[in-house]
Amino acid sequence: MKINTHQFGEIEFTAEKIINFENGLFGFEFLKKYLFIKPDDSFFYWLNSIENPDIAFPMFGLRAIDDQFPQEDNFEAFGIVTLNSNPLNITLNLKAPVYINQNDKSGFQKIVDTDNYPVNYKLFSE
Amino acid sequence: MLVLTRKINEDIKIGTEITIKILSISENQVKIGIDAPRNVQIYRNEVFEKVKESTIEASRASIQKEADLFKYKIQKVK
Repeated sequence: MKINTHQFGEIEFTAEKIINFENGLFGFEFLKKYLFIKPDDSFFYWLNSIENPDIAFPMFGLRAIDDQFPQEDNFEAFGIVTLNSNPLNITLNLKAPVYINQNDKSGFQKIVDTDNYPVNYKLFSE
Repeated sequence: MLVLTRKINEDIKIGTEITIKILSISENQVKIGIDAPRNVQIYRNEVFEKVKESTIEASRASIQKEADLFKYKIQKVK
């Protein structure tokens, strides 16, 4: 299979690479199938929609910055990154982590409704 | 919208698995208890809206070119 993506051009993949988000992502409930990739020229992992290849989200593993972050069995927690031309303004959504299981190829997003996890956590400092 | 009137300690069932109970009422606040299966996600709507906006913004911003991020420090959550 092939998709033509905005960010990464043409990507070829096999059916077993598809990560299924039964409920989609918040605001993108209608998109259920994604590829989870780590492009060589990006700092981030990316979740790229298969159904609408122009929709893609940079992702950052949350274990790396918070060993207390709420875990889900067999899933790895990632935050959606909002890019900015100034790296100091790049933010990470800690409020609504995306959990991905790379073995059974499933994923879901949930809200961690506590004050210490903001939607716009500043990821970088100088 | 279905509108029901309830008193303190009375509850409402949504399907067979979800129960919503009115716990207390004050002038402009209602305390509600919710029993639901673990896979049912429950949020305050304003938090949900904020998350949705942030996700849409992330999708828009994703087309930007990435700067060289390796020279920056990653901030750990305290």
